[in-house]
Parts: sequence; C-alpha cells; structure tokens
Amino acid sequence: MKKTLLATAATLMATSAMADVNIGNPMAMTGPIPDLNAPIAAAVDLAAANINEQGGMFADGETLNIIRADSACDPTAAVDAVTKLINVNSVTAIVGPVCSGATIAQAESVSIPAEVVTLSVSASSPAITNMEDGTDLVFRAAASDAYQGVALAELAMANGFTDIAVSYANDDYNAAIAEVFVQAYEGMGGTVTANEAHEPNKASYRSEVATIGAGSDNLALFSYYGSGGITLMRNALETGAFANFIGADGMLSDELIEQIGAENLGTSTFTTSASDDSTPSFGAWKAIADAAGVPAADPFVANGYDATFMMALAIEHAGTDDRAAVAESLRAIASGPGEVILPGQWAEAKAILAAGGDINYEGAAGNQDFDENGDVAGNFSKSVIVDGAWAAELIQ
Amino acid sequence: MWDAFGFEFVNFYFIPGLVLGCIYALGAIGITLTFGILRFANFAHGEIMMSGAYLTWTIMAILGAAGLALHPLVALIPASVLVIVLFLATDRFFYKPFRKADTIKVVMASFGMMLIIRSAVQVIWGPNQITFVPGIAKPNPTLQALTGDIGMMILMPNKHIWIFAGTIVLVVALGYLLNRTRIGKAMRAVSDSPDLAHVTGINVDMVIRATWIVGGICATAAGVFLVMDTQMLETTMGFRMLLPMFAAAILGGIGKPYGAVFGGLVIGLAEELSAYPWIGDAPLLSPGYKTGVAFAIMVIMLIVRPQGLFKGRSF
Repeated sequence: MKKTLLATAATLMATSAMADVNIGNPMAMTGPIPDLNAPIAAAVDLAAANINEQGGMFADGETLNIIRADSACDPTAAVDAVTKLINVNSVTAIVGPVCSGATIAQAESVSIPAEVVTLSVSASSPAITNMEDGTDLVFRAAASDAYQGVALAELAMANGFTDIAVSYANDDYNAAIAEVFVQAYEGMGGTVTANEAHEPNKASYRSEVATIGAGSDNLALFSYYGSGGITLMRNALETGAFANFIGADGMLSDELIEQIGAENLGTSTFTTSASDDSTPSFGAWKAIADAAGVPAADPFVANGYDATFMMALAIEHAGTDDRAAVAESLRAIASGPGEVILPGQWAEAKAILAAGGDINYEGAAGNQDFDENGDVAGNFSKSVIVDGAWAAELIQ
Repeated sequence: MWDAFGFEFVNFYFIPGLVLGCIYALGAIGITLTFGILRFANFAHGEIMMSGAYLTWTIMAILGAAGLALHPLVALIPASVLVIVLFLATDRFFYKPFRKADTIKVVMASFGMMLIIRSAVQVIWGPNQITFVPGIAKPNPTLQALTGDIGMMILMPNKHIWIFAGTIVLVVALGYLLNRTRIGKAMRAVSDSPDLAHVTGINVDMVIRATWIVGGICATAAGVFLVMDTQMLETTMGFRMLLPMFAAAILGGIGKPYGAVFGGLVIGLAEELSAYPWIGDAPLLSPGYKTGVAFAIMVIMLIVRPQGLFKGRSF
C-alpha cells in the first residue's frame, strides 16, 4: 500500500513538474546583503503568486514555479547555483543574480554557453552592458551604474565637496561604480585626493582609513554594507579621519543605522536606484505590494517584481517554455507598440496575447524598455537620515 | 590634519595591528595545540570562534532582556563553558573514531565539521548580521588626556584596552598551566613525542580533553574579542580569520603556544604596517592587498624555516 502511494505521489510530482513553467531564481540569500535581498525575493514570489492567481501560464493554466537558489552575492556560489538550475532543474530562464559579480560570473561561465536568458533584478555594474559578445542573452531590470556614478558625482558637487577620497571594495560592482564616479567627479572639476581599493571582509580598516584620510574630510565609499562597509565606516568615524560620507546602493541598509547609530550618520548620503512614485505603474505596484506586506519603495524591490513579471510575459508571448524563444519575446513585451500593461495586470495581458495582440509592459521601477544591450534607463534617489530612519528623495 | 610623526603611526597602524595580532594569537594557540597534540590541522577552529561569539551574544541578549547588562568579558565565561561542552562532544562522537585514521581523513572531517557548525549557526541565528554593540567607540578620554600631556597622545577606545588586558591574562594563565601544572607538562610531553609520553604512563585521553578545553577557551575569547572590535556578528567571520591564524601558528612553530602568540602578533602587525607610507606619501602596499602579507610570510617561512621561529614540528 505504502509503495503504491509513493509511486502515485512520484508520478503526480513528475507529471506536474513536466507541465509547469520553471524559472530559476538565484538570489543573495546569504552573503554580505541578506537584508537588502529579502524584500526583493519576496517581490519575486509576489509576482509569481499574482500570475498563478490570474490564470497561470498558457491556455491550460500551467503553474509558474520560481525555483530559488542561493548565489550568496558571490561569483563562485552563483556559478554553482545557476549550473544546478540550468542542468538539474532545466529552467526556462534565469531571473536573478542580485549582485553584479555574481551575474557576470554566472553569465560568462554558465548561462551564455547554455544559451539561457538571464534577466538580473539588480545587477548594475557598467561592465554588464557589453558582456554579451554577440549574443542577446543578458538583460537587467535595473539601470546601469554608468548613470548612478554620474548622479553621485553631481550630488558630491551639490553638497559642496571640492575634494574627496575614494575607497572601494575590490569587486565588479564597487570597482566599476567607483571608476565612473571618479571620472565624472574629476570632469566636474573636483579633486580626488586618494583612490584606493580595500579588501572586503577584514576585521579592521584603520590603516586604510588613515592612509586615505590624510588629504580630505570627505569619503566616497563603495562597498557592501555586510562585507566591510560598516566596519570601514565605523573605523573612519572612530578615528575622525572623515566627516562626510557618500556612497551607493550597497551601503543603503537599515543595518547601518542599527550598528552605527542614526546619530552618527547625519553627514552621510547614499544613492540608490529608485522608482518615480508618480507614475500609474508605481501606483499599481504599490497597491499590490502594500496588500502583500512587501516594502514597495525599498531598493530594487520593484525591479524584482518587474523582472519576474516580464519574464513570465515573455514566456507567455513565446507560447512555449522553450529557452530559445525567450530573448526575442522579452524585447517584444517590454516596449511599444502595444497595449500598456501595468504591474499585476496578468489576466489582461494574457487575453491580449491569446488574441494575437501586442503588449508593452510599463514597470513599477521604470518603463523597462530594453536598449540594444539589454539595459534599461532608470531613476535614482538619495537617502539621508531623517528622524532616525533613511528618507529617500528622487534626484533628477 | 595630523601633525607629528609617530602619532599617526602609533594610533592608526601600530595599535590596530596589535589588536588584530591579539585576536590572531588567541586563535592560533588552539590551532597549534590541536596540530601538535592531535596531529591535524583543525579547519573547524574558526567556526568554534564564531559559535563562541554567538553564544556570548545570546547570553548577553537573554540576560539583557531580564534587565542585567553584562560586559562581554563576563558573558564570555559561561559561553566558553558551553563551547567546551560542544568541543568535547564533537571530539567524543566525531573525531574519536578517526583517532587512528590517516591525518588527511581527520583534516577532511574537520572541514566537514566547519560547514556543519556554520550551517547550524545560520539555521539558529539566521544569515543576517547581528549588532554586538551599536554605535561608535570613542577613544578613552582619560588615556587621551594623560598621554596628551606628555606629548604622545594615544587614542584607544575602551574595547581595545579590554582586548589587550584579556589577552595578557589568558596568555599568562596559559603559561602557568603549561609550565607549572601536571596536566600542562603532560600536554607538552605529548606534543613533543606522543609515543614516548604514552610509555611513560601519561593518560593521552586526558591530555586530548585538556587540549580541547584550552583551545576552546582561547577560541571563544578570540571570537569575542573579534566581535568586540568589529561590533558585529556574522557567520563567516571565523573562517576569514582562519587562514591568518594558520599562518601565525606556522610562523611560531607548530605545537608551540608561545610561538603562536608571537606569530599572531607578527602577522597582525605585518598586515597593518604594510599599508603605512614608509617611503614617500603613498602606502607601501595598497591596503587592498594586505591579506596577502600574512600568506607571503607563511610561504617564506615554510620554505626557509619550516619548523617555525620557536622550533616547532616540521612536516
């Protein structure tokens, strides 16, 4: 009896797995930014839940499965995770890697050779723009740091910093945005007094801080908060080497407030990719997110929803969960011409596609129109401490 | 913004180097003892440090919620008792079956133990960072004023004073244990020659237990000192310290606890001082590469003098 039950269960599982659409979702569940990652992962799940509630995939209503793996914000872990997703779980496409280093590594060594499309939720390194090498397999739902670095340089100038020291963690994301920042800042007439890499994950950065602190009171810090960023900032404040701090998304976390204390962060400003909350798309997204208890305006959370929703639309558009059709369909559903689809409007989009019509998804995080490199434009915000919490303000 | 030569060197390179060195030294003591007495490289040592720090934090958090604010150094005592129990249990059920096996099997087993402990900690406490003590540690004002009066101002937060004091107490106690007590002498005898120690009637099992206890106390202390310094807990923090601690143990000579202390201080200082602008204004070595210094020292030591500075065992 037991055997029969097991066999039946096994058959059921096997058939349901075959009839479902599977998307691989490597996320930075552990590693240096678990707090930033958690709401993004929740947004991915929310998108899948919305899709399955509103009729699922294809005419026969197949379930969309998000198969999650841990890329740990680490190139090696990402390669392992995506290899498993592609070879063992046979996913149709990858929606995922949160960090740039992880995205680049998994694309170069796994997903591009396997001809699987990657749509990153938040990888923003400028290096990703031109890495596809003639293929059309790497997309992202977050804007490149080629823009954010410039926005940050403008912010430094607006804050009146005429000289600045730069310290960046030695990885793909932080090194790339630091380079863009330095170029833009010097182009605007600022003086970079020191520009040094720091090794992530050290117990102490006092010598680093002392070395670069001699020339300026302002520090542009490019690091992940969980792999040295907080320690470096703490050491800089303790030794009094720096008075003012600016930086990008990797540092913008509540963990910073909890560990360093809001009273010590009064002179810090961090930018991040942000959504323009006046658009109807953002309004639609906010309603969905609020109902589900997902923080709508947190960094890259809207991008996570958009990426998942667009990937599902692309597979629906292709009419098959075949890997080869995804890239072309992704371009077709993301930009005009076509009926505008807002976040959450799965049933409407499904009906239009079934009737042979065109759709144009307008995302919560931005219009999500891919350029020829698979990049999107985006908005940025700057966050400062107001009443003991981060308060974001859109910068144009 | 800084004047006289010396001020910057002492406060921003030398003292941080010593703090790091103290942490390496305590960790390396446990590594060198297990290496000398049990004859294998214990990869799980960094995770023991980490779990000791998590236990200390938990004890502080539980008693803190009950309205009793403990200093980390006080919470360290019950935490190290728990770590010792954990250590002895893993030895009894995990390492003992390997006692007569090849060294490589035990080393691999310890590697497995490392992953088991880290995953267990991630399951219990979660992968997120935990704040140990929030806020910024300002330099001790009394020390600053006193040393400022004699023209040699020293900026040292209280946490560093505690770390130095704790390390000195532990190293002195260890010296007493190894040189004055029966079990300490037996440990040294087993480390020098296990067979000879066995025929002279030394209870080797007892010595092994003592090794785990001493190693456990030092590892927990090292873990707690590390989180006192960085003020946060994170599950890979022990592993990151592991390789420099191995370098320290090898530099001092395998099986030599004083060698490990000396090696730890040298490695800690070498890492921090390599970024000092010795020539001109630029750092001698970009701070991004200072981790490499510890390994360069280890590799050179293994080639030139494999028995280490204190004439330890060479393999």
